[in-house]
Amino acid sequence: MIAMSTRHILLGLLASGPSHGYDLKRRHDERFPQARPLAYGQVYTTLQRLVRDGLAEVDATESDGGPERTTYRATADGERELTQWAAEIAPPAPFVTNEIFAKVVVSILSGGDPDAYLRAQRAAHMGRMRELTQVKTAKGADLATVLSADYALNHLDADLRWMTTTAARLTTLTAEVDTA
Amino acid sequence: MSTTVPLLAARDLVKAHGPTEALRGASLELRAGEILAVTGASGSGKSTLLHCLAGIVRPDEGTVSYAGDKLHTLPEKRLSELRRTDFGVVFQFGQLIPELTALDNVALPLMLAGTARKDAQVRAQEWLERFGVLGQEALRPGEMSGGQAQRTALARALVTGPKVVFADEPTGALDSLASEQVMTALTHTAGEQGTAVLLVTHDAQVAAYADREVRLSDGTVVPQEVAA
Amino acid sequence: MTTSYTPSRTRVTADLRLAWLLTRGSDRREWWRALLTGVGAALATGLGLVIAVLLPMQGRYHLNDTFDLLEEPGTRAGVIVALMLLVLPVLGFLGQCARVGAVHRDRRLAGLRLAGATPGQVRRIAALESGLACLAGSAVATVFSVLTLLRLWSHPGPPAWAGIAVVAVLVPVLGAGVSAFALRHVVASPLGWIRRVRPARGPGRLFRLATGLLVLLALYIATTPVFGNPVGFALGPFTIFAMCLLAGAVAVWLTGASSRQLGEGLAARAGRPEVLIAAERLRADPWAAARTHAAVLLVTVVGSGFMGVRQVLLTDLHTMDQQYYAEGIGFYERGLDLTGAAVLIGLGLVLTALAVGTAESLATRRRGLAAQAAAGVPYRVLGRAMLLETALPLLPALAVAGLGGMTIGIWYASIATENGSAQTLPWTALLVPVVVYAACLLAAATSLPLLRRSLRPAELRYV
Repeated sequence: MIAMSTRHILLGLLASGPSHGYDLKRRHDERFPQARPLAYGQVYTTLQRLVRDGLAEVDATESDGGPERTTYRATADGERELTQWAAEIAPPAPFVTNEIFAKVVVSILSGGDPDAYLRAQRAAHMGRMRELTQVKTAKGADLATVLSADYALNHLDADLRWMTTTAARLTTLTAEVDTA
Repeated sequence: MSTTVPLLAARDLVKAHGPTEALRGASLELRAGEILAVTGASGSGKSTLLHCLAGIVRPDEGTVSYAGDKLHTLPEKRLSELRRTDFGVVFQFGQLIPELTALDNVALPLMLAGTARKDAQVRAQEWLERFGVLGQEALRPGEMSGGQAQRTALARALVTGPKVVFADEPTGALDSLASEQVMTALTHTAGEQGTAVLLVTHDAQVAAYADREVRLSDGTVVPQEVAA
Repeated sequence: MTTSYTPSRTRVTADLRLAWLLTRGSDRREWWRALLTGVGAALATGLGLVIAVLLPMQGRYHLNDTFDLLEEPGTRAGVIVALMLLVLPVLGFLGQCARVGAVHRDRRLAGLRLAGATPGQVRRIAALESGLACLAGSAVATVFSVLTLLRLWSHPGPPAWAGIAVVAVLVPVLGAGVSAFALRHVVASPLGWIRRVRPARGPGRLFRLATGLLVLLALYIATTPVFGNPVGFALGPFTIFAMCLLAGAVAVWLTGASSRQLGEGLAARAGRPEVLIAAERLRADPWAAARTHAAVLLVTVVGSGFMGVRQVLLTDLHTMDQQYYAEGIGFYERGLDLTGAAVLIGLGLVLTALAVGTAESLATRRRGLAAQAAAGVPYRVLGRAMLLETALPLLPALAVAGLGGMTIGIWYASIATENGSAQTLPWTALLVPVVVYAACLLAAATSLPLLRRSLRPAELRYV
């Protein structure tokens, strides 16, 4: 799951233009400060896998006096894969994940529609919240059910509130991501 | 076929409060027996939309139709009557008369419709029991907890057997437990009576009690994505 | 240590500046309060000044033919009493005006307390606010009164000037003092809860004491003939004044007590929504009605007393003018007309106060009223409830006030009979409460347009 996210995030970072491994790591760490910093090795192996799967390819190899550096770029397949992934809804889970944030940023990087994504994600969250509310208000529901539904509802609500705030600040975020 | 005809429908509503436009072309449909949540940020026009739909406010432009009536063209006298017979309203607070007991507050709409006070009180008592306001009939709104007062307000809104209940932030002043009790009471009773509910709220957990959600932003309805 | 520090002066200046800033930024209705308070203070000052000038006069004076009542010490005393009586509705008017926008003011003062102001500071600021309004009214009245006085009377003596100065200063000082006293509960709580959960308080200790003293005085007057002490006819006007006060005070107690009884009784039995709402509001705060109606009742007592006395006096004059009154009855008629005019002015004042009170009660409840209208409670039900709230408690109170006035008339008639004239029943006294009742309903009805405006859904937006 995490490896899969890293793949797409690297693809997303490549969407703004060819880049080499170390640069990708640095930009990842800057862009997602809450995430665990990527190990250089992990960036390298992930890039290898992307090339193997035909989603990325080597752009150039250069060594101006120092060690050899390889720059990569996303292929057409890679861009398609990225668009598809970014538009995909993350399963509304009662956990604080920053997958939604990652998708928003990647969506901005790849010129997608983060607003539409957030609306769809919101609808999915609301759908799940309605289900949980029905479970909890059903006649004869025991307290354990009510409490666990409440736990999930509160986490989903936190996601939703975050999404609402983010949606309202997309313009500023886009400007920030694009100039970085 | 008749189920597809909405009970209440608003088309392209425009309404300005002085220089600020609260609604800019909002449209919405409410089907019979449906619980619909209208959500949105503060100032997105939620309350104004509710006021237009309930015939409390006349829109500057657009139409509101209810069961074949064009609400925006009806005279105030008829609107007031409609609000008394076919609609019920619940606000955040203020809809109970502070000097009247819970029982008289609930009996009031029936008395206004011409029911004798004794009969009205008997029916009001049944509704208070239904909403779990037991042994509090003689209390006045100031002497009750927020949750009890709101459940009394629900009883007052539903006692005449309305077709639609309009609830504007009904849990706005309540903690989450009281809020849960009020919302459960509202949705269960509305379901049993087949009453449609238009629920205005900024709280997603409250909106989750509805069957459907309509989001407002800057006075218009945000297009809905189909959940995957 | 180079600058001399003057704490008290700095403090007052700072408070004054704050009071001015707060008043300037306040709600529109608070400006109404300031304006009405100023008008009331001007009236009180005007009356006070005339009394202050008349009191030191000894013996006969000749001013002007229009003012021939002021020539004789006896009739002058009567004029003074009439003016003193007229001060009472002015005070009632001032009391009512102090309530305009009171919710806003209380919230503002509570905010000041939350912001760290001491109770003393808040009290001073509040006192300065109303003191300034009273000062403005008093200054205007003083200037005009002195100019008029100098035209009528070329050489007012030092006592008259002293009296003028005392009244001109006393009115604003009293205004400030009374407002500080009235706000003693509000400033105690930074959260300003006082008004919201205000229990229906009965009249205060001062009022109880005043009523007790009046009862003692009445007993003394009633028993004097028995012990053979001569009640001089000159004492008559003062006795009338005291009796009027007593009847007014009793009427206030009666309104309060009967409002509660009436409210409870009607609330249990009411079949119509408007009666139920009005009755429950009376039951919730019966003393609000008593306070609002106190001045109305006083004017009714004075008015019906005056009508009774007038009828008896005129009958007397007509039957015996050939015998005793060579100068004719015109002099007495003019006196009666002037007194009647004073009573009418008093009535006008209390009706204005009643209208202000009704409007203020609506303005305070406008959000709740708008919610009722939104829920489908018709305008006419809310309007009728508002009128009934005035009509119900006034009915028994005005009846008693009318009877009080009638008693004064009969008492006067009995004195006149002792002096050898024919017995007259002062039935005209009974017309006064009926007329006042109708006028009060009209005054309350002036708030109906405000009610209609309060029911606009825009009011739902205010919290």
